[in-house]
Amino acid sequence: MSTGGDRPEGVSSGPPVVAALWRAIDVLRPIALGWAAYGTSVRSGSMTRPWLAWAVLGILAAWTVVLLLRRARTPLVLGTELALAVLAILATRLVDTPEVIAAGAKTVPGVWPAATVVGWAVLRGWRGGLFAAGVVAAADLLEVVEPTENTVNNIILLLLLGGCVGYCSDLSREGHAALQEAMQVQAEVRERDRLARTVHDGVLQALSYIHRRGTEMGGEVRELATMAAAQEGLLRTLVSGASLPPPDRVEGMVDLRGLLGRYAEGTVQVAAPADAVMLEHRVAEELAAAVREVLDNVRRHAGDGASAWVLIEDHDEHVVVTIRDDGVGVAPGRFAEAAATGRMGVANSIQGRIRDLGGQAVYDSRVGAGTTVELTLPRRGRP
Amino acid sequence: MMRGDQGAQGAPGEGDAGGSVGRPAEPQAVTVVVADDHPMWRDAVARDLTDAGFKVVATAEDGPGAVRRTLATRPAVLVLDLNLPGLRGDQVCAAVTAAGLSTRVLVLSASAEQKDVLEAVKAGATGYLLKSASRETFLDAVRDVAGGRAVFTPGLAGLVLGEFRRMAAGAAPTSCTERLGLTERETEVLRLVATGMTYKQIAAHLFISHRTVQNHVQNTLGKLQLHNRVELVRFAIAKGLDTSPPT
Repeated sequence: MSTGGDRPEGVSSGPPVVAALWRAIDVLRPIALGWAAYGTSVRSGSMTRPWLAWAVLGILAAWTVVLLLRRARTPLVLGTELALAVLAILATRLVDTPEVIAAGAKTVPGVWPAATVVGWAVLRGWRGGLFAAGVVAAADLLEVVEPTENTVNNIILLLLLGGCVGYCSDLSREGHAALQEAMQVQAEVRERDRLARTVHDGVLQALSYIHRRGTEMGGEVRELATMAAAQEGLLRTLVSGASLPPPDRVEGMVDLRGLLGRYAEGTVQVAAPADAVMLEHRVAEELAAAVREVLDNVRRHAGDGASAWVLIEDHDEHVVVTIRDDGVGVAPGRFAEAAATGRMGVANSIQGRIRDLGGQAVYDSRVGAGTTVELTLPRRGRP
Repeated sequence: MMRGDQGAQGAPGEGDAGGSVGRPAEPQAVTVVVADDHPMWRDAVARDLTDAGFKVVATAEDGPGAVRRTLATRPAVLVLDLNLPGLRGDQVCAAVTAAGLSTRVLVLSASAEQKDVLEAVKAGATGYLLKSASRETFLDAVRDVAGGRAVFTPGLAGLVLGEFRRMAAGAAPTSCTERLGLTERETEVLRLVATGMTYKQIAAHLFISHRTVQNHVQNTLGKLQLHNRVELVRFAIAKGLDTSPPT
């Protein structure tokens, strides 16, 4: 019976539910045996060969003990157990007179064969359960010759037991397999992530080096250095984006750092806390769009070579995003003026977006000293 | 127009207006250990340092080596790559701090792993710089760190701000946490560092001296590291580690 390609077997392997079922069977077997021994002791006076009944029970007891000591549950072991159950049932014909059996007396092993049915069900799923139940049922029918109501009842119970327990173990195995596959995939992803970080780190080192040396050497090499610097910036953004912890799976929430992190490139730096800054998805997207507009304005109006910095701060009850550039700046009052004449997108679009979210945008700028925009957003809509 | 210089703050050269009192010893006297697993980079850094008059007393290619050579040579500055094999950056920092050396650690990394940077600084690093920083910025940073002045990038300032918020939110207000919290001024300065201002610009913006700005940044770092130690001690007491006999 021991064929190749079996599922993992034995008490220690497989899903926890299956392991628990094996333990349950180990408990069931001695109890069933005790019950059978009690039955035999009560009826031994009416038996033709009580010594045979005790011998059969002795063999079953020995087997029960063996299974308590030996934990392997192979098809061979369960096949032996099934054979023992069948022989014990058939032995009843030699122990009792046909009349007593026809009157509905219990078999010598009693409910003990149920243990082997459950065993098959756990080992081989519902098919195994039904198979073992069928074999035991056949033995019962052979033993009783004329099926009594009791026999039929027991057979149906056995089939139900085998089928149901088998189905349960099938389900838990499938669930376990899916879980293990998911864990495997997760481990692989993590490992790849780790390797990628090492590789990226190496590439970044090389690019930084080329950039630095190239800039120092000057001439045509400077062009290479500029290219390396550009790629370095892109790769760093990618790497720091990938290293962000996965967003907490809070329904509809998103980590603001991930959204704003996308804006980081050569002239834009993003500073953020080490922990996730969770916002409602819609709010975060709106805020990110507003920041995007501020950065677009920096590109358009701050002058060549202006850099920008984005700072994300999480104050529990509100989130503050500060965007500063070191560009040409504007005279105080220009923003109000621009809003009045409707020429700049600043007042309309950014202020509007933030006000819609219940927050406020504060501008601070001086000619030659860049511009600072502070976007303050309360958590949970309007205050 | 790419600017590779990610802006380390606090180069002494930019804020020499009266703030240069107590400059560190001459560069010649400053000893440095360079720990980096990329030979190319390690050699370049060592060469730059030597050219600039620093004395590179040892180099190391992995974490344990970095600790060993630092303990053996007791340099003024350990230039430490954050991603060394063998030991994490914060573990190296902790080992150097634990040995009671006066060595200052300047952390360099190519790819900024946020948590790692923060951990390294909490474990005692005095400065942090991205590897894309220019040679001048780097050399200035080594000088600053040698003089005990904190070197922050905007990214690190953002992390530190976040860390203080987290600590303030997590702990019940006691005299201890209050003393370890940031003052309004320190928060203000840190926010300006986080949005890319140089110390000199901050000094001009807040009408304070360059040196005062440096002190504020210095204090935030000191509080962060002190808080880290307080947390460690609290952890040790909670675990009953304080009752073990001294070794």
